[in-house]
Amino acid sequence: MLKPVLFAASLFALMSPPADAADSWGLDNETIIQMQVTVVDLACTLKNDCKPNCGDGKRQLGLLTAEGKLYPAVKSATPFAGLVRDLLPYCGQMILVDGLIIANPALTMVAVQNIRLTGDAPWQPTTAFETEWTAKNGAAEEWMRADSDVKAVIAADGVYGIKSLVAKP
Amino acid sequence: MRTWTILTACAMWLSSVPQTLAATNSAQATRIQVTGEIVDTWCAVSGLMYGFGTAHHQCAVWCAIGGIPVSIRDASGNYYMILRIEDDDNSVANPRIVKIQTHSVSVDGDLIERDGVKYLFVTKVADDKGIVNLTHDDYGIVPFGN
Repeated sequence: MLKPVLFAASLFALMSPPADAADSWGLDNETIIQMQVTVVDLACTLKNDCKPNCGDGKRQLGLLTAEGKLYPAVKSATPFAGLVRDLLPYCGQMILVDGLIIANPALTMVAVQNIRLTGDAPWQPTTAFETEWTAKNGAAEEWMRADSDVKAVIAADGVYGIKSLVAKP
Repeated sequence: MRTWTILTACAMWLSSVPQTLAATNSAQATRIQVTGEIVDTWCAVSGLMYGFGTAHHQCAVWCAIGGIPVSIRDASGNYYMILRIEDDDNSVANPRIVKIQTHSVSVDGDLIERDGVKYLFVTKVADDKGIVNLTHDDYGIVPFGN
């Protein structure tokens, strides 16, 4: 079941200006981190399957530390959106990231809330998805309910993914 | 003149793929077959909300179109993050992957494990049973309810 208090707190945190440290989401296995990493194309790093510019936004990206530890970059500060659009401009570059490592024994992943190129540059919130989506589609209270691709999928298969199952009002 | 043209082209290509420098740690892949549910990685793994089956299908579509990585969760609770599906290396908001959100599938693929993550390069979707994990009666629509 959704943890409503945590969820509300996380939404509030996303609307707050970036601070010096990431906001906790109160998740299990969560650690607040700031670390220097190189932005990499996961398929390239793992399998030598490389494309120019980290795949130009069509490939999942990772964060590689100087010690050689690789993390998948999973969640941005935009609700329900990933990090590719925030990290792609820094493909192959070293940046500072501010966020959370979720070290679930089944899968370790990183949610990045803010990024910056150098130690004295201002933190930039990872809201590129929402910025680009709004520039393309116009402002919406919730991008995911206004998105034409989402609406097409839900219209075709229903909110439960099975057309014959209708949500109760 | 032709030599300079070729050298310049090579230099431009190399400058556009700095990723190759980071690819030196690539590992050997193991061919496996995985059976499980296609899930949104963030919601399912973080525990922020209930992230499985019909109850979470809409949110899984939102997150996949939002570019969050998609994984397969098997019956033992292992997660396999999908970085390729058959001949398509698009792993960000790929309509083919969005279309099978929440489905129960069996896939063949190349597994590479690194730093606590199982990465899967799917070579073949061997079976797709559609959505069989009916959780909406217990959880409603997650998040935000009906």
